[in-house]
Amino acid sequence: MADIILSIKNLKKYFEPHQSFAQSIIGGGQKKLIKAVDDISFDIRRGEIFGLIGESGSGKTTTGKLVMKLIEPTSGQMIFNGEDVTRLDKEKLKEYRRKVQMIFQDPYASMNPRFKIKDVLEEPLIIHKVKATIEERTKMIVKALEEVKLTPAEEYMGRWPHMLSGGQRQRVATARTLILNPLMLVADEPVSMIDLSTRAEILYMMKEVQKELGLTYLYITHDLSTARYFTDRIAVMYLGRIVEIGRADDIIDNPLHPYTQALIEAVPEPESGKVNIIKELPIYGEIPSPANIPRGCRFHTRCPYATDACKTEPEPELMLDGEEHYHACRRAYEIKAERSAKAAG
Amino acid sequence: MTFGDIKYRLNEFWSEFRKERSGLIGLGILIIALLIVIFEPLILPWKDVNTKWRSIDYWQDNSANAPPAWTNAFTKLKAPVTMRLEDAKKEETELDGGIKLVTYTFDYHYTADKAPLDVILHITGHGDIPFQVAIERPDGETIDLAQRFEQGLSGQDIRLSIDNDGREAAFTFVKNYESQEALEQFSGKSLRTADVLFNIAQPGMAKEFKPLKGTYKLIAKAMLLDPENSSVEEPYIVVTGSVSGILGTDDSKRDLFSGLIAGLKWALLIGFLTSAISVLIGVMYGIISAYFGGAVDSVMQFVYQIVNSMPVLPVLIVISAIFKPNIYMLILVMVLFFWTGSVMTVRSMALQIKEETYIEAAKALGAKKSRIIFKHMVPILIPYSFASMALSVPSAIVYESSVSLLGLGDATIVTWGQILHDAMQGAAILKGIWWWILPPGLLIAIMGMTFAFLGFSMDKILHPKLKTR
Amino acid sequence: MNSLLKVENLEMYYFTSKGAVRAIDNISFELMPGETIGLVGESGCGKTSLGTSILRMPTPPGRYVGGKIFVDGLDVIPLPEKEVRKNIRWQKISMVFQGAMNCLTPVYTIGHQMMETLNEHADMSRADADSLIKEYLGYVGLPPEIMGRYPHELSGGMKQRAVIATALFLKPEIVILDEPTTALDVIVQAQIINLLKKLKKQFNLSFMFITHDLALEAEVSDRICVMYAGKIVEFGTNEQIYGRQGPAHPYTERLLAATPRLFKKVEKLHFIPGTPPDLIAPPKGCRFSPRCNKAFGRCFEEEPPLIEIEPGHMAACWLHHRG
Repeated sequence: MADIILSIKNLKKYFEPHQSFAQSIIGGGQKKLIKAVDDISFDIRRGEIFGLIGESGSGKTTTGKLVMKLIEPTSGQMIFNGEDVTRLDKEKLKEYRRKVQMIFQDPYASMNPRFKIKDVLEEPLIIHKVKATIEERTKMIVKALEEVKLTPAEEYMGRWPHMLSGGQRQRVATARTLILNPLMLVADEPVSMIDLSTRAEILYMMKEVQKELGLTYLYITHDLSTARYFTDRIAVMYLGRIVEIGRADDIIDNPLHPYTQALIEAVPEPESGKVNIIKELPIYGEIPSPANIPRGCRFHTRCPYATDACKTEPEPELMLDGEEHYHACRRAYEIKAERSAKAAG
Repeated sequence: MTFGDIKYRLNEFWSEFRKERSGLIGLGILIIALLIVIFEPLILPWKDVNTKWRSIDYWQDNSANAPPAWTNAFTKLKAPVTMRLEDAKKEETELDGGIKLVTYTFDYHYTADKAPLDVILHITGHGDIPFQVAIERPDGETIDLAQRFEQGLSGQDIRLSIDNDGREAAFTFVKNYESQEALEQFSGKSLRTADVLFNIAQPGMAKEFKPLKGTYKLIAKAMLLDPENSSVEEPYIVVTGSVSGILGTDDSKRDLFSGLIAGLKWALLIGFLTSAISVLIGVMYGIISAYFGGAVDSVMQFVYQIVNSMPVLPVLIVISAIFKPNIYMLILVMVLFFWTGSVMTVRSMALQIKEETYIEAAKALGAKKSRIIFKHMVPILIPYSFASMALSVPSAIVYESSVSLLGLGDATIVTWGQILHDAMQGAAILKGIWWWILPPGLLIAIMGMTFAFLGFSMDKILHPKLKTR
Repeated sequence: MNSLLKVENLEMYYFTSKGAVRAIDNISFELMPGETIGLVGESGCGKTSLGTSILRMPTPPGRYVGGKIFVDGLDVIPLPEKEVRKNIRWQKISMVFQGAMNCLTPVYTIGHQMMETLNEHADMSRADADSLIKEYLGYVGLPPEIMGRYPHELSGGMKQRAVIATALFLKPEIVILDEPTTALDVIVQAQIINLLKKLKKQFNLSFMFITHDLALEAEVSDRICVMYAGKIVEFGTNEQIYGRQGPAHPYTERLLAATPRLFKKVEKLHFIPGTPPDLIAPPKGCRFSPRCNKAFGRCFEEEPPLIEIEPGHMAACWLHHRG
């Protein structure tokens, strides 16, 4: 049994749509719930990088917020470091926030434009009342900046966020999370807004920091190609559910769920000879609204392999295939056979 | 935050601030204004303006609606400037019978092209004293102007106006030069004493004024009939000219410069306190309403709507009927109605800021609500607050004056608003008395601008995004 | 074959208070009918500036300093703005701006906003315009009801389709696509790319495809133009850049190495340290030399010219100069 740092059990988050007073009278009881996260369970092991993959609208960001405890779950359970953290009082929550930190997608928006870098990095120390003299605090800030390779640290401390490039800002954002010595980092698309040439640099830095400090990452992204490089295990989410989960290499080399297959096939590869080919995507249309989740298997509306059973029968649970590779498709093997037949002929 | 930290931050702020020219101008004006308030007693030409603004006696030696003295620079015929002569040569002579004659001689250098309106002697006396005033002209003529016998004095101020008391003497003087024929057209009543006294003595002088320039000696004599029990002291002479002071006078003969200087501190107080308190309340109200949302927001918006729709004047009348209006009461009432001004804008701005990622980031770091509100949301609203303050400073000042109009103003102080209000009552615009309207109006505008300048440059510093563009 | 678009020694600088930013520095290329040229490079290398310059609307404070832009043999730079709006922009060349789908005004319907663009560039009756919009919505795979919808009611992919339809209204020959799929999910991105390929064939369009993603460029562009610091550093066919032999310029090489590949497990992703240079005072010699791991003496002294290293393949690097 591996050492589990975060265990999520049957977690759900339903949002009530905004309604005006008049609407709520006329509409009566038939409010459509937005099922952003609809019953997910997974474990994150200590010291691993766990990738949560999905399109926008898949609920991956909501999951991240639930883990960060920025929003309260509708139901389900979260166990962090052996402790139930589903509901926490003020004190416990603050304690939890010290251990679990977050890196946001937009490095331009995640820092108050009126804070200098020094103030940005000092904020966690102030919030968590880290008792220290100015010199000690400065030392901690310098150390954090050096950890993310922003040197000379003293020079960066006096700058404003707008004077830094996207990559540099994301380094500062990482340094801000590291300053409190957290156990786990939630990184929500940390590199999607950064230039390609620096993207790898940031991921490399994050991975170095993770190895050095023995951190656990929850890496949320829609980009499978960075996920393969960056993560140990991957969970693929679709419309608030996990449809496939397993080792990163397994998922990408041997995807079992048709949604994962579509995701993989959609990724462009820097190779020649594809200009005049219209890519055949094994998926239809766009992701439905989470307020209107299809009955049966929630993917059947877009699935080219769907049968009547997929439309009418209850949704399949995650099934084990091989070593810790789970999927939620009842036709996985038939599809696999179909696909390999097609590839061959 | 330690003291060193604060000092560091202030230093940092100052090093940025000094680059902002408009901010420095604003700061400069504000410092000048504060210095004027501090050194007010030294600057005021009329020392008792704060207490005697509404006293008729205090201002009676001035001329009404006199333009500022410096307007002489732009006119061909120079008008005499109102001035006060205090340096007197004192002579005491013993007369027969133990009577003591005290003579004060004042020198008046007359250089204007028009005659002064009046010359007035003030003296304080004790006991029974006969007074006499005479004038010695540069051409050697001496005219005895007036006599008066005051009895039972005990330190009152005696006022002898030549225009009033010396008319007969002046008429007599004219008679020496004018033909009977010419004199028939005039009577002592229609002749202004000063027109005679400062005229060149020659035929036709009653008709035409030709200034006799030079040094006039004004001689005031007091006869101490019983030197043991009577005395005179503090004599001074006021020459009432037709131009006066730095900013002229109003139609109640009040010196406007003194009034404006005395009003400065109230303008600062009313403007600053009212706008600062109401904007502070409004900003906090808006932020709290936006940040907490839901039921809190609904209730707070309801209260806001009620206050916002309440008519101000009826409430003010009721309040002033119950309490005796004073300036602090007025400020309080203004705050009570002014705070709503910024609520809606702040609320909508705060609703936007609330959704910013860095607010979420602060939450994720474990920041308390108070920290998020005060460290992250309030600073972003500071520029708006300053702008809003700068805008409500002039309106607070003007509002105070319109409250005065209803008789609800504080009658114990001088304010710019009251001066403006008096100017409107006195139809200053129709009469072209610009020095009564422009200075208070400009000062109100400058005060507003000062705060606006300060606000905008602080905005630039506290909002680094603006700096780069 | 005659080129549709010919850019000759184009220079466009941004005149800022700190000095002239040489955003486009002596750039020449030709776009053939039915061809897609991909413009790649890091942000700030002048890709978007080149796009707007070709459309003859450089973003202020940008001004043309030199060079010519021939559209169908006519130099458009000296033309008056009115003429450009009437005959060139949207009629001959149109553009899908970066983030255009997020710049739709939230208070107007999609139809209203499409109509506005149409009215700006063509005189047309309302009914004609209406049917034209519906026709083009059909081409991009959107139902005509979309016209009555507001931007927030549509997904990112639908908005981008609407924006693409807007760019095609007046049957342009050239469409400049500036990062048309950034901020879209992979599946939607692939769908949009497929759509673009289909439209290209259907209307015989030529594309200028601007992106920072080399992997995406490989899927759409016949020829690739790699830009660095306002200059072209490499220009070659899809095969020459992505084929077995690999690119010629170290910048392209390293950019390609930094592109993550799904089917290749790598231990360490490569990256290019440092940031693109300040274009007010670019470095002496080759502009990439401070970040280049293959730079030698000459690179720091002299600027390498863009030379043909094999037929149709050009590179500006001293490594390819023999002798």
